Amino acid sequence: MDYDFRTLDRQNRAINPTDSFEYPALQKLGAPHIDSFNRIWEESGRNRPPLIDLAVKDLGKYTIFDRKEEFTGFEHGNKLTYWIEDVQLNRPTAIGKENAKSLLVYPAECREGISTYKGKLTCKFCWQINDKEVHTELRSLGSLPIMVKSNRCNLYGMGPADLIKHHEEAEEFGGYFVVNGGEKVVRMLIAPKRNHVSAIKRPSYANRGPGFTMFATQIRCVREDQTSCTSTLHYLNTGNLMFRFAWYKQEYLVPAILVLKALCDSSDKEIFENLVQTDINDTFLKDQVELLLRSLKSYNANNKYQALKYLGSKFRVVMNLSEDVTDAQVGEHLIKKVVMVHLDSWKDKFNMLIFMIRKLYSLVANEIQPDNPDSMQNQELYLPGFLYLGIIKEKLNDILAGVRGVLNIELRLRPASVNFANADFFPKLLKKVNTDVGQKAQYFLATGNLVSKTGLDMQQTSGFCVVAEKLNFMRYLSHFQCVHRGSFFAELKTTAVRKLLPESWGFMCPVHTPDGAPCGLLNHLAHKCEVTTFTERTNDLERALSDFGVSLGIPSPQLAIDEMKKNNSKDSKIKSRTQYLSVQIDGKIVGFCSDKQSRMIANTLRTMRCKANNPRNQSSYYIPPTLEIGLVPKMNGGQYPGLYLFSNPARFTRPVKNIAENSIEYVSPFEQIYLEIACLNEDIRPGVTQYQEILPTHILSSVANLTPFCDFNQSPRNMYQCQMAKQTMGTPAQSLHHRADNKLYWLQTGQTPIVRPVLHDSFGVDGYPNGTNAVVAVLSYTGYDMEDAMILNKSAHERGFGYGSIYKTEVFDLTDEKSGTSEPTCHFMLGTDVQSDSVREKLDLDGLPFVGTPLVEGDPIIAFFDSVRQKTIIKKYKGEPGYVDTVRLVGSESLSATSSELQTVQITYRIPRSPVIGDKFSSRHGQKGVCSMKYPAIDLPFTESGMQPDVIINPHAFPSRMTIGMFVESLAGKSGALFGMAQDATPFQFDETNTAVDFFGEQLRAAGYNYYGNEPMYSGVTGKEMKADIYIGLVYYQRLRHMVNDKYQVRTVGPVDPLTHQPIKGRKRGGGIRLGEMERDSLLAHGTSYILQDRLMNCSDYSKAYVCRACGSMLAPISLPSTNLVYLDSDNEGDESPRNKSELEKTRNAERELLTAAATNAALSTANSSLGGKVGMDILCKNCKKSDITLVAIPYVLKYLATELASMNIKLNLLVK
Amino acid sequence: MDLYNVPLVGDSPGIDVRIRKLTKNYVDFVLSNIDLSVANSLRRVMIAEVPTMAIDMVEFYQNSSVLADEFIAHRLGMIPLTSEKAKDFKYTRDCSCTQNCHLCSVEMTLHVKCTEDQTLSVTSKDLISSNPDVVPVLEDGQDKGILIAKLNKGQELKLFCVVKKGIAKEHAKWSPCAAVEFDYDPYNKLRHTNYWYEKDKQKEWPLSKNAVEETPEDSSQPYDYNATVKHTVGSLSPETIVTQATKILQDKLEEVQISLENDSKPAMNNSFEEENEYFKESYF
Repeated sequence: MDYDFRTLDRQNRAINPTDSFEYPALQKLGAPHIDSFNRIWEESGRNRPPLIDLAVKDLGKYTIFDRKEEFTGFEHGNKLTYWIEDVQLNRPTAIGKENAKSLLVYPAECREGISTYKGKLTCKFCWQINDKEVHTELRSLGSLPIMVKSNRCNLYGMGPADLIKHHEEAEEFGGYFVVNGGEKVVRMLIAPKRNHVSAIKRPSYANRGPGFTMFATQIRCVREDQTSCTSTLHYLNTGNLMFRFAWYKQEYLVPAILVLKALCDSSDKEIFENLVQTDINDTFLKDQVELLLRSLKSYNANNKYQALKYLGSKFRVVMNLSEDVTDAQVGEHLIKKVVMVHLDSWKDKFNMLIFMIRKLYSLVANEIQPDNPDSMQNQELYLPGFLYLGIIKEKLNDILAGVRGVLNIELRLRPASVNFANADFFPKLLKKVNTDVGQKAQYFLATGNLVSKTGLDMQQTSGFCVVAEKLNFMRYLSHFQCVHRGSFFAELKTTAVRKLLPESWGFMCPVHTPDGAPCGLLNHLAHKCEVTTFTERTNDLERALSDFGVSLGIPSPQLAIDEMKKNNSKDSKIKSRTQYLSVQIDGKIVGFCSDKQSRMIANTLRTMRCKANNPRNQSSYYIPPTLEIGLVPKMNGGQYPGLYLFSNPARFTRPVKNIAENSIEYVSPFEQIYLEIACLNEDIRPGVTQYQEILPTHILSSVANLTPFCDFNQSPRNMYQCQMAKQTMGTPAQSLHHRADNKLYWLQTGQTPIVRPVLHDSFGVDGYPNGTNAVVAVLSYTGYDMEDAMILNKSAHERGFGYGSIYKTEVFDLTDEKSGTSEPTCHFMLGTDVQSDSVREKLDLDGLPFVGTPLVEGDPIIAFFDSVRQKTIIKKYKGEPGYVDTVRLVGSESLSATSSELQTVQITYRIPRSPVIGDKFSSRHGQKGVCSMKYPAIDLPFTESGMQPDVIINPHAFPSRMTIGMFVESLAGKSGALFGMAQDATPFQFDETNTAVDFFGEQLRAAGYNYYGNEPMYSGVTGKEMKADIYIGLVYYQRLRHMVNDKYQVRTVGPVDPLTHQPIKGRKRGGGIRLGEMERDSLLAHGTSYILQDRLMNCSDYSKAYVCRACGSMLAPISLPSTNLVYLDSDNEGDESPRNKSELEKTRNAERELLTAAATNAALSTANSSLGGKVGMDILCKNCKKSDITLVAIPYVLKYLATELASMNIKLNLLVK
Repeated sequence: MDLYNVPLVGDSPGIDVRIRKLTKNYVDFVLSNIDLSVANSLRRVMIAEVPTMAIDMVEFYQNSSVLADEFIAHRLGMIPLTSEKAKDFKYTRDCSCTQNCHLCSVEMTLHVKCTEDQTLSVTSKDLISSNPDVVPVLEDGQDKGILIAKLNKGQELKLFCVVKKGIAKEHAKWSPCAAVEFDYDPYNKLRHTNYWYEKDKQKEWPLSKNAVEETPEDSSQPYDYNATVKHTVGSLSPETIVTQATKILQDKLEEVQISLENDSKPAMNNSFEEENEYFKESYF
């Protein structure tokens, strides 16, 4: 069980990289992303065209007429037909890189150069006039962002040696886009299972209109090019059925019977037989079908043509086709674009719609349960590549529609200028249309927003892309395994969608989901779960099915009647009638078979599928190894029975062991719930169990798998660890020097954990260490370890425990400073106008800093000369003390020969972050804590062998959290350290008879230690042996990225809000933390009035105000220069003696002037001095004309309140005694 | 108890030191007839207060290696240097020089450039000291030295270090010893502790190797017993550490005695405090 650290192996590989990847499991993680992207450009299945070709074909041809009469042949004038062909994506190359060694661009260059990794997208525009010769023109569609390591990437097929040469990680697995220097991942989203009818019972459907009920069936049909169209069949209580679909985000309802009629030239009897099949005794069904057929009468659509014509007449405007198309053709187009788009043959479409109706009737009759859309059984994925293709396809369609739009405008405004015959006409027309598809795709990747006219059959328009943060390796990994339920569900009030359902067993990790808002919506694939991306060949499968006796025709009512007759003649009593199940391949009905037959067929297919994995397989049929064989047997009140076979892409699939064949077989969620899969050997039930899990750990995601002994922990703790592993300060990348991320956290003293699960090795996590092995003692010592705090050994800290750095990159772009002119006006240099030694010490003559320069806030960091202002401008450094790590000179993307001057510089700062009190650490068991003290080593307790703990944690951290895994890790770590070996911490290795404690206890005993990992310890202060022995061992500790230096907020006085004079918000601006009502309450309850006074007054908006003792007003007292005192005083005193009017007027004027003067004066300070009896201003009540005024301390907002009240004609009086 | 006549280590006729094992960097000795607190004090002093030499300041002239300056500086600081002569150096803070001088420091330089295709290891052997008494510790002639950094072709490391005298209380790099084992009362006769056990104490708890010094639990014996074992990192020989530690401990106790005397005679000036600025902060 124990194994080696393989340090030398790794070192050797690092020095001499080879061409083969060492960690194939790691390479597989990006597979759903890369494969789905590859399918766009290379064959989508065996001997199948690339998806882009299928998409372009589906766009079809656009036709337009010039409405000119001189040319005959067509009713509406000359006919112009145009379409797109042959869309090609080239590998990323540089433009204007004359001096470059190679024209190829690699992702690392884009990362460092803040540009986008993209290649030229081109297509052929073809057009035809009056159906004559075809003209083509090759046109650029802009530059399309390319997925790293896809088949269009320049890194495609490279091994570690080459990857390192191109400044990538040795084991780079790609799967993301580089957009504006950042790495973007398109999220995988959950989609309803394609081409499968699901039954829905939703009360809100009843509110859709009169007659609507809560019953519906829904199908998400996916075309060959992976774009989809969802249609719903509603049951109305009138017996009618409504077929609902969306066209350009607009919903339309069409009577289903009309669609049925339009699909097939069938009589009412045929439709009846199709719908009723052998259920001749089902009166409910028969009544419903009758109602349905009757409802047809009102549309006057008795045959296919009439129905199509009727539909076409209604949808002519919506479909927006050319003028020459007849109504019936419009109807045909509608059917083609909307109804059962996954099927080409109309007969198949008809059969599928029949199936949909039958399933709906079953649901209404309460014979079956509605399908749960939150269960993985009814789900698949929107894969990044397919989504990307959807966007490209729609943008191409927009171009085609745009051409028509431009032409229509031309025809309206300048009909004379429109001349199809002119060879230049169409190319000129094209120029008026924005054909930059690449830019639209880049916008999508950069923002994650979907700008779409059709909505792409998605439920959301934003949140598609996320930044693949390289915070640490695990964070990065999990981005590629992450599956989101869709942002629509995030707003849902019910929590049903977040539930962990048993159907996700083996496909979604039950542990790895965040707690809080996205809990249960943001899931991660189990590490062995794969996603299909190939379109499989199914004609062999069809052949096999018919060979197995699947009948092609529908089981007609006649069949049932015959059977009944036969039974009656034989006089057998209750012989059950044969049930016929529909057999479907990817949503196409290929026939029917009996219930009994279906089991046989399913079993045979499973055996064949299992053998399909075997290269020596000599079967005459090709069965896809990932084929999903979903047999829903006939049952009462369960799912709708049938044999559903799926071979399509975007399905989940996972390997299990077929017990009988003893080989690997891939199963999928739809079939899984009907399979007997044993987990362990003892779970096998002979004769029943068909499959067995390969390893129990297969249900966990890659990150969840890295929690050691996670089977010993209380389950939420493992969830927390998954979260914390992703916030750890670790090793984000090995190519740190070639990255220009905004912020990177890096742990200097990363170690390989002594205790690690097997997957640690298979994912190559050793290349990206995430923590340090620490000697951890569990004891209550000095009280500094209370409440989840941990004591750090000061000597350990001095030796480098948990030391980390932050790499921050700042971009200086002079083109920002430029004022419109094409020639740069700013140049990086240190002009002669700067003479200061302090600047010249830190900056070179080129205006750039020296690498390695220590920086503190306010230091010069870069200088450039502004030739307009003729001045050197120096930028200052902001932030914590750090060093200049890297200076990067960035060339511009569109380099023209004339302006090749350097305009952009990136400077990476290295900010040392040694652990300080208040920094957060955690073990790998959801046990996080804050460092509360760095204790001197001599005062720490020590064992008899002289070991002192690096970390002390409190025993109270365990009883309620039950992280036994941490105890086991401590034991295992201790013996691992003693014997110098790596310890296997894979979960589910131990059981009741063979316990972990025994296993590691024996090892410890062999090393001369206590069996249970305890040791007597001595107090470091007195040397006396402690009363109890202490649990001490080695635990791998992670340093989390939450550090006090980024969080502390302290102020006494500081910046204030100009209106209220209260402290402002925000840590960055030196603001305060709100002392709210509840905080105030508790201070009151404590009776700490001085603190209250200090917080709410002195440190907040303390101010002084003049209050008139006589009138109590705070607003009336004004300050006046004391020279006027005499005059005004006499005015007050001589109230009785009448003055003449003009004099009074004069006084008022003077007062007014003085008032404004007083206001402009920096009033209070001078006024204060006047109160003190000195010369200056004097205070006078404007109201009482008296100077019986006093100064009081008030919160400034009180004055504000008084003013506000005054504006409402309310007077605020203060009683001053 | 007579506070003014506390028996000091060495003074007391009762204290007995018996060395069980002594190698180049390992000493194993038994102290008896000594108070537990004094034995522990000796341990503490050995860990934290025996002065050694270590690189304290690094000036970088050229560093094109992949490691950051402060990373290399930290690694350099941790390199053990021979410190037998440490006691002849002054603490820089006590020295009369302005920055540092040969009385309080040693200078070291390192200049390595990789010119070959192979990775070049820069080790402690590449450090050139200005004082032959203070050099990086090497186990023997075979010792390749301690790895500082690795250089690729064209990378260069050029730096200047100042070695200063210091104690581990200030920074762990000045610690002369790796670990100090410590054990008394292996049979737990004094009942200072409780050995927790699940089923069987004898099976679960191993016997200390110092158990040979005592007889298994019979009657309570009056005498106290200590065993201290230590490992060094090589900068000082184990016996030097022990003797120096004893000396330091004596000095400290002396100081306590003097200050107690001073306390009882308040008229006396206590000017020695200024002279021994450092010890004022000590824990005793």
